[in-house]
Amino acid sequence: MKKLFSDSFSSIKRTIITFSRSQKFSFVIAAMAIAAIVPLLVNNYTVNEVLTPMLIFAIYASSWNLLASSGQGSLGHAAFLGIGGFVSALIAIKTGVPPIIGLFLGSLLSAAVGFLVGLTCVRLKAWFLAMVTFGFSVIVVTIFSELDDFTGAVLGFPTPLIVDRGLPFYYLTFAIAAVSILTMYLVMKSKIGLAFKAIHQNEFEAKMVGINTAKYRLIAFVISTFFAGLAGGLYAQSIQYIQVSVFGAEYSFLPLMMCVIGGLGTIEGPIVGSAIIVAIDSYLPRIDPFLNGLLGQDGLIPLFPAVSNVGSPLRFLGLGLFLLVIVIFAPKGLTPLMKKAYHNLRRSLKEEKN
Amino acid sequence: MITSGLIQALLWGVASGCIYILLATGLNIIFGVMKLVNFAHGQLLMIGAYIAFTVTTALGLNAYLAILVAMGAVALIGVGLERFTFRKVLGTDKLNEIFVSLGLIYVFENAAALLWGNTTRQISSPLQGLQLSIGQIAISYDRLSSILIVVVILVALFLLLKKTKIGLAMRATSQKISASMLMGVNTEKVYMYTFALGAALAGAAGALYGIIFNFNPTIGALPTIKAFAIIIIGGLGSIPGAVVGGLLYGIAENTAVYFLGGVWQDAIAFALLIIVLVIRPTGIFGEKGE
Amino acid sequence: MQKSLIVILVVVIIVVAGVAAAWQLTQVPSAEARNIKIGLVAGGQLAEGQDMDRAAKLAVKEINDAGGVYVAEWHTSVEIELVSIDTVDDSNSKSVGPVTQAVEESQVDLLIGGYTSSGTLANQKVAIDNRVPYIITGASSSLVTRRGPQANYGGLPEGSELRIDDAEGMSYMFHYCTTTADYSATVVKFFAEEMKPLLETTYGFNASRNLKLAILYRNDPFGQGVVADSKAIIDAENLPIDVVIERSYPTTATNFQTDLTAIKEADPDAVYVVDFIANTAEIIREGQADVGLNTVYIAVECCEDPAFYTLLGEYGSDQLLESKFAPYAGPPYYLESIATYVTNYQEEYNTLPGMMGADTYDAFYIAADAIERAGTLDKAAVRAAIESCALDQMLIITETGKIQFSTGTDYHEIAPVTFIEQLVWNEDVNECRSVIVYPATAEGVGTLKQASFALPTGYEPGSP
Repeated sequence: MKKLFSDSFSSIKRTIITFSRSQKFSFVIAAMAIAAIVPLLVNNYTVNEVLTPMLIFAIYASSWNLLASSGQGSLGHAAFLGIGGFVSALIAIKTGVPPIIGLFLGSLLSAAVGFLVGLTCVRLKAWFLAMVTFGFSVIVVTIFSELDDFTGAVLGFPTPLIVDRGLPFYYLTFAIAAVSILTMYLVMKSKIGLAFKAIHQNEFEAKMVGINTAKYRLIAFVISTFFAGLAGGLYAQSIQYIQVSVFGAEYSFLPLMMCVIGGLGTIEGPIVGSAIIVAIDSYLPRIDPFLNGLLGQDGLIPLFPAVSNVGSPLRFLGLGLFLLVIVIFAPKGLTPLMKKAYHNLRRSLKEEKN
Repeated sequence: MITSGLIQALLWGVASGCIYILLATGLNIIFGVMKLVNFAHGQLLMIGAYIAFTVTTALGLNAYLAILVAMGAVALIGVGLERFTFRKVLGTDKLNEIFVSLGLIYVFENAAALLWGNTTRQISSPLQGLQLSIGQIAISYDRLSSILIVVVILVALFLLLKKTKIGLAMRATSQKISASMLMGVNTEKVYMYTFALGAALAGAAGALYGIIFNFNPTIGALPTIKAFAIIIIGGLGSIPGAVVGGLLYGIAENTAVYFLGGVWQDAIAFALLIIVLVIRPTGIFGEKGE
Repeated sequence: MQKSLIVILVVVIIVVAGVAAAWQLTQVPSAEARNIKIGLVAGGQLAEGQDMDRAAKLAVKEINDAGGVYVAEWHTSVEIELVSIDTVDDSNSKSVGPVTQAVEESQVDLLIGGYTSSGTLANQKVAIDNRVPYIITGASSSLVTRRGPQANYGGLPEGSELRIDDAEGMSYMFHYCTTTADYSATVVKFFAEEMKPLLETTYGFNASRNLKLAILYRNDPFGQGVVADSKAIIDAENLPIDVVIERSYPTTATNFQTDLTAIKEADPDAVYVVDFIANTAEIIREGQADVGLNTVYIAVECCEDPAFYTLLGEYGSDQLLESKFAPYAGPPYYLESIATYVTNYQEEYNTLPGMMGADTYDAFYIAADAIERAGTLDKAAVRAAIESCALDQMLIITETGKIQFSTGTDYHEIAPVTFIEQLVWNEDVNECRSVIVYPATAEGVGTLKQASFALPTGYEPGSP
């Protein structure tokens, strides 16, 4: 046991040292500096409705990413988002513990449930797992709704806040996000992460090499659902009101889209994906009046006479096409493309200098 | 305690199971031959319903003939899907299929919302309102016809797979793709026909669905899940499994609702699914191929 | 080399953000005349939301065309600018964000709308905290105005998180809609006063035999609210009704034969269906076509919409609909303003209006009137003006014939009149149309009843 501890400690140390010498390190520092400064310069609305959700969904997407890196693509992660959100709020209300403790307990319970779900999923292949996890999220919704007298899920209720909204909550989320993503990064870079990758690539061969696939798949589930629950608790804080709709299927699909668009399997992918999707969700609706003017019933080219408001469906249609294009033509996500663009920029600047 | 109500519930189970059997069979064929899973299958059902609706209202075609039109149209869409999206990700990471499906779900649902609007629709059938009643038990002729049509389609499918050349090619590919390639089977062509066939079945399911239930662009999601539950229970790749699974599923769903109340309708499906998978991870009939 | 690039990047971002922040700071609301911004909270994905959207645009157009709203403070008339707040499906997670944006960023002067109870209960918090007047035209839960101290927290238990202690904030909420209690009362009274005697004369039942009612409802606050309120009213007024069976189903359900079969076994005289348009039409259809439950069905007022009549087809014949706005029960209409509204709506949008839009339409006129009487856009003054509203009824008829928001424990609610319609097959339009069968009269209107309630053809009563 002591050896395990000192082993992982030295491996963490090694990882940190290697990383700090890499190019990525300065990037991360710069990114964190930007993330720390920008909220001071924009209005309250942007901080609360755009920047904070970007962080929260970065945690959520990263948690899904970790699970997917072990070959387990869950389609029911919203269940854990919801469990984390509800449990953290309920515990704070019913027992009077400070909401921050509630947040932690909510994540723990989410991980416990994740352990049980993981148990049923260890022997399942990708598609079965997807269906079972989806099915599980449906069952969780039903259970929460049936126990409405205890959970208040159907009508919902306001969340007891940890700190005030706005900048205090943003920085709290920022701190939690930094620690969470760092932890997940260290896990993925460690031997455990290697085991995940091996299982993802070929489970049969991994077994042949002596990896206890069941154990590692379970570990992936527990870690992933812990952070998903944490994101859920933070999300409940962010929207200030928790209700059963948080378990909806769209919330299960969100981390999937974020990881695909950002870059599945990488550490920056979910963060980039989260930023892109939240930005799209917040700002793209503003083109609705324009779309309506162009293609709506009274627009220039009334293509769709059956619809009074073409903005909403056109946007989602675009999102679907965007996802398809990314998966087919850029399966590693947008981050590699952005990296390439950055390198090209650097090269051309270097050439100019010379 | 066998009440007439219980018998009625069982009868509904068979009737509603039929549509899901069609959907599940289509999924199974695609999986069996191409080892591909399409989560957007239910959206093909939805499109089938809308196409049937359009030809019955715009051209005045009989609702039951519209099924054939829907089958053809959705089959064509299936061919396009296979060629331009799924073929590109076949062979890559298994998760990519899930991602493509998700993108397709968004595309189909919103395209349908744009083309036909969000309002709920219904296909009017010539048999509307007519019932067959035996004592306390009644069943509408529409539902009886849907059971009949599903049986006819399944028989035709059976003949297609067992007797025709393309059916043989499909079965060969599903069993051992390398061997069938060596024997000169054009895999790409087989994939195209397979997807078209699976899509046609979904289109038929959709046209029937539109006659019996009302529909809107979002109805595709639940049938997909039920179809998946059925094929997992029955065994991935097994067509008899899909039939038995579909009937079992419909009966289980309806009796559960009868005794426990409607709230458990969806959850029961998954509870059943999880139980089966925990006991027997390859489904009741086991997995074909692999 | 790399470090300097990063420094440049960071500097650029800081500069851009700084410019943006400075620009934001200059966006101070000016003290001179400007257009009135009213936010419409409606779900774009829902048919009801689209109806609200159309009604709102019609109202705004009419008001602006008639010269706009006179604001005494500026000695001029200004126009209303409609700010569309699309809540997609009006769930709470989708509605809080857009409403927050409208209040904090777009700085709307007033909010109108809200459709689902849970969505509105969530998104109204933003309006309460920011003291923005909110005329809620949907949400059948009375908690939207009763959750504060003025209404004794609407009976919410102490410690309930739904309670709001902010009396000042709650004073900005107005409920221009019927509640589940309002229309459940009309429904059960109709059964007691009209249907029960008819059953006795037709089938020779004993007067001591209570009417047997079945309730089939969607499992959410709306459905649960109706069941609870109906039973409460039956008890409170000692009505001769027995609720012989209650069946509920998840909001995602699409077929109901099993529930209908169970109801058939319980042998009721009537079935009260509590759901929105698509499912209610489906239930009424399945009940008659598939299950052979040949009873009389009554639908809730949210089904008063063109889509409902289309979906029902012939299956709607002789069935019942509780309503408060009846564009189908005429012409001639029980209220002149309805004829005008229906005509204008049809001309503008080529379709008949639904019920949700009617509340919304009225609300815009209420807002315009309040602003004119307040003489300013100051939200506190506008709020007070809405509270003292005394307009004549418009599309929604009230018990007094006037639009008045109560200040008692039924805080900031109106007293709408709801009525029961029976659907009659109309060959000319190939759909059903409605006639009002109960109550006989209404204070602000006079005679309301257009025909007497008749049992449907092929009706089978419950067990004697």
